[in-house]
Amino acid sequence: MATVEERVKTVTAQVLKLSADEIKNEDNFTADLGAESVQSIELVAMFEEEFEIEMDEDAALSVETVGNAVEFIASVCKEQGVEVEE
Amino acid sequence: MRLVLVDRCEQARRNFYPLSLNRPIWELRCGFSSLAEKLTGKIGAQDVAYFVPDYMADAYRAQRGGAVNDLSALAGDDLLILDGRVKADALDIACAGSSEVGVDAEGGVVYARIAKNDLPGLDAEDIDGFISSAKAKLTNVKCSYAKWEYTWDMVLANPEQITADFAAAGRSGIEGTIDEPGAILGSKKDVYIASGARVHPMVVIDAEHGPVYIEEGVEIHPFSRVEGPCYIGKNSILLGAKCREGNSIGPVCRVGGEVEESIIHGHSNKYHDGFLGHAYVGEWVNLGALTTNSDLKNDYSSVSVILDGRRGIDTGSTKVGSLIGDHAKTSIGTLLNTGSYVGAMTIIMAMGKPLPKYIPSFAWFIEGVVTKGFGRRKLYETAKTTMSRRGGKWTEAEEAMWEEIFQITAPQRKKAVAKGRKVMMARR
Repeated sequence: MATVEERVKTVTAQVLKLSADEIKNEDNFTADLGAESVQSIELVAMFEEEFEIEMDEDAALSVETVGNAVEFIASVCKEQGVEVEE
Repeated sequence: MRLVLVDRCEQARRNFYPLSLNRPIWELRCGFSSLAEKLTGKIGAQDVAYFVPDYMADAYRAQRGGAVNDLSALAGDDLLILDGRVKADALDIACAGSSEVGVDAEGGVVYARIAKNDLPGLDAEDIDGFISSAKAKLTNVKCSYAKWEYTWDMVLANPEQITADFAAAGRSGIEGTIDEPGAILGSKKDVYIASGARVHPMVVIDAEHGPVYIEEGVEIHPFSRVEGPCYIGKNSILLGAKCREGNSIGPVCRVGGEVEESIIHGHSNKYHDGFLGHAYVGEWVNLGALTTNSDLKNDYSSVSVILDGRRGIDTGSTKVGSLIGDHAKTSIGTLLNTGSYVGAMTIIMAMGKPLPKYIPSFAWFIEGVVTKGFGRRKLYETAKTTMSRRGGKWTEAEEAMWEEIFQITAPQRKKAVAKGRKVMMARR
């Protein structure tokens, strides 16, 4: 099974039309990866689908970097009892 | 005698969604005024108590004042308890008389006139039990008063209601200012322009087919045409509007473009061009430039409206526009299908195509699908800003009510979001 980090990068790449290899943990979704506000909403939606979790919109949309998204999603998965590969 | 208005039947209330999500049904408007004003006026009640769904009681009390869900209002005086959906025009209950309970064909209590002496024998632990107890213990009579069944009933009745309300108001003439050149078509007896209202040059007021009533502080900008029957509420502004017959607008609205046979609650804006017809618009709504609704199908068949996110209800009318809940905002170029439902606290970012006929409350319609968007807290922030711009105040009670509405409307929204996700996934 792919790790949370790999899955976050795959989803991010698909939504933002990038190559997953180019995405680094320190990348900021908007400043570095060019995510527009509408794409931020789509990213949250697709993360929820990928991990079968439900995230608080305010908390999810305040995450700025890929690395922070990985940590945030891992913690939500833990809270909601979803098993993932760390 | 104390009038007690009751709006507790959840099933009946759903027929008035999204407008009744955050207000009792009697706060809906038709003609010049709300249904409550019509009922209290007809009965001549000075003392009025209200029983509303529990989740909106605090917000309604803060907004309206007086006795709201206050059980002490069920004691100390003769009572006339009335279903808030009863049409005032049809009402002919004698306020004084022995106790009796008016029951409709389905067994529902339409009214209960209860003499003070009979009150101690009734169960007064809650309003629903109180009414049941009155029905069980007091004389029942058959009753067939007409009731408002759906929101579009008010839209369809609006032209006649405006005409009736104009006659009842008993006012006509020009007390405000009309700048020349301008024109009043028809009899000036069918026009009332209140003191402090200003009609700019190049405005046509056409009262040939119905009366025009313009309240205090209204401004009608140049190149507007106002056709009667029409009611423009206090401090509203018409901006080059083609205001066709049958509109009730305001108070404090900004309206431009073409509007026909629509009811627009206070503090809502349709500033720019675009057509709104046979629509019912809630409070604090903003319709972006070129927002347009259809109110007539190409095949002239009767319009159906989806109120629950699933089944369409046949309105029996060929002309029904949109139902738009409070605090909804549409982007430029929004196209609303015939008989559309736009939930309260909804954000629409249009994509150039007609929208789905049902957009749930608290939805963010983005890129052609319903999403959770930036969430409800962002919507509350926007509502706060919108209200503060017009002297309104977002209260804790109001936020608590909207939190409940968020939960009430969750099933329909979740379903729509799930459908949107499938579309998003297919695009990946």
